[in-house]
Amino acid sequence: MTSLAMQRRVYDAYILDRTELAPDVVLLGVHAPEAARFTKPGQFAMVMLPGGEQAAVALGIYEAVEDRLSFMFFVCGRRTHDLARLHVGDALSFFGPLGNGFFLQDESWKDVVIVAGGVGIASVLLPAQMLLARGARVRLYYGARSDERLVDAQRFADAGCELHLATDDGSRGYHGYISDLLAQTTEKPDGVLACGPTPMLRATARVANELGAPAQLSLEETFACGVGGCWGCVVPITRTSAQAPSFPPLECDGSDVVNARICAEGPVFWAHELRW
Amino acid sequence: MGARTAMVTIDLSVQIAGLNLHVPTMTASGCYGYGSEFEDFVDMRSVGAVVLKSVTRKPRMGNPTPRLVQTPSGMLNAIGLQNPGIDWYLEHDVQKFSKLPWKVIGSVAGFSVDDYAYVCEHLAQRPEIAAIELNISCPNVAHEGETFACDPDLTTRVVRNARSTTDKPLIVKLSPNVTDIAAIARVAEAAGADALAVINTVRGMAIDVDARKPRLGNVTGGLSGPAIRPIAVLAVYEVARAVKIPIIGQGGIETATDALEFFLAGASAVCMGTSNYADPRVPERIVAGIRDYLLRRNLRSIRQIIGEANVGFANPYQIEGDEG
Repeated sequence: MTSLAMQRRVYDAYILDRTELAPDVVLLGVHAPEAARFTKPGQFAMVMLPGGEQAAVALGIYEAVEDRLSFMFFVCGRRTHDLARLHVGDALSFFGPLGNGFFLQDESWKDVVIVAGGVGIASVLLPAQMLLARGARVRLYYGARSDERLVDAQRFADAGCELHLATDDGSRGYHGYISDLLAQTTEKPDGVLACGPTPMLRATARVANELGAPAQLSLEETFACGVGGCWGCVVPITRTSAQAPSFPPLECDGSDVVNARICAEGPVFWAHELRW
Repeated sequence: MGARTAMVTIDLSVQIAGLNLHVPTMTASGCYGYGSEFEDFVDMRSVGAVVLKSVTRKPRMGNPTPRLVQTPSGMLNAIGLQNPGIDWYLEHDVQKFSKLPWKVIGSVAGFSVDDYAYVCEHLAQRPEIAAIELNISCPNVAHEGETFACDPDLTTRVVRNARSTTDKPLIVKLSPNVTDIAAIARVAEAAGADALAVINTVRGMAIDVDARKPRLGNVTGGLSGPAIRPIAVLAVYEVARAVKIPIIGQGGIETATDALEFFLAGASAVCMGTSNYADPRVPERIVAGIRDYLLRRNLRSIRQIIGEANVGFANPYQIEGDEG
């Protein structure tokens, strides 16, 4: 068995391919065989910026096949702007893979709903592929601002997902929030996986609860270290959760919630354990 | 060059108040966990000591999120001293430190003079803890934490009381958010500090113009990163002229050149915090870069250059006749 330490390390990779999936949505494929082999669905990496002066950016790992691993991101700040300017052949270092990823050990999930909002799509291809390979039915509920921003939807359809699309402006699919479209389903799935903006995750958790399906949410928050060292990215969860850090002890304030680190204890949490 | 390099030994070791560091590069409190969080990504032999996250007398949940904001050439944080409290820490966490191959320095925070003395006494008793840093300068706990480092009388009382509880090396971490940091440094030295950590973060704030509210859950935060480096270099320079005890310089150190600025200003060691988030291999690069700098100038020891750019500052190592 290769040790965890072997898998989690700094990778000095280079860019194999660069695609603009939409204006301001970039996909970078990098050459990183070992990282690609060990990435679990829902994990992320801290992608280091050229020059080394800015904090690394946490990006979900979109694809991981053979020698290639890819990152999809929206250009929305200085760091992603700098990443978007890189070319094929340029060096790109990252450290990871990090986080626990989705909990997919339970093979009894035969009918799974995946909900993705915006760039949240970047963290759900790997779990979709794993579930499909296992013979599960995968319904992808995918929402974005507009048709143009529903990037790579066809990729999921080709892989075998049933697509349910929504746009804020009605330019494609359901006109409105993806969680509202999900609320229209009457078919209870075995489970729900979701990644996207916090309001979408909250709404998804509510709908999943009404359907009686357990939901796993991949949370977003500003990270600094990405490895559990700075306590910058916390979310309150129930003390009884297996993911809960063991402190502060209960006698502290009698509270049944604790702050867990999204980067280390997450980024995926069971919806019913979140106390946000 | 390779053959010559192999022949010359460059000595990067320093002594901070009786604490021997094989390299003068440490990691800053609150930034680096126990060190274990980073060991997969950096050669920890390039870290002389890890200053642990501050612990308080009672457990603390910390501040609401967002706790972090990226800013130009830096980062604002307002974690709020989330920690399990000293009782839990002693019972469950400290024993783990004995297995770590690197030195760890305990960090103590509090809200009263008694708090500091209590936590310091209990933590310093443990053999796993090589030294104690008094964090009297946390800007992210309402009205209390930083008050100590901004008031000479409070600094005196908190340091004196903590000092009386232990013989272990006692480092006092100073705040840049004062008019005269040298004055605070002097009273900390007089009260029994063995070394000074200079500086903690600089108070700052960022506002989200779309939401029309502060970006941090705590409203205000502490600024770190290269944005504060010149502030920190000046603080080290001024403190070095005011005291005789060693200084651990910190504030936006990303490269060997940055670290050398601090040594030349009068620091005997440096800490890296935020820069580890840009590249976790920063400590390796800094150690290699310092070694190379000394080698190219036919210097044998980092101790030879401490305070060299600080006119009137007397390098304690040279006073002791340490260098031939």
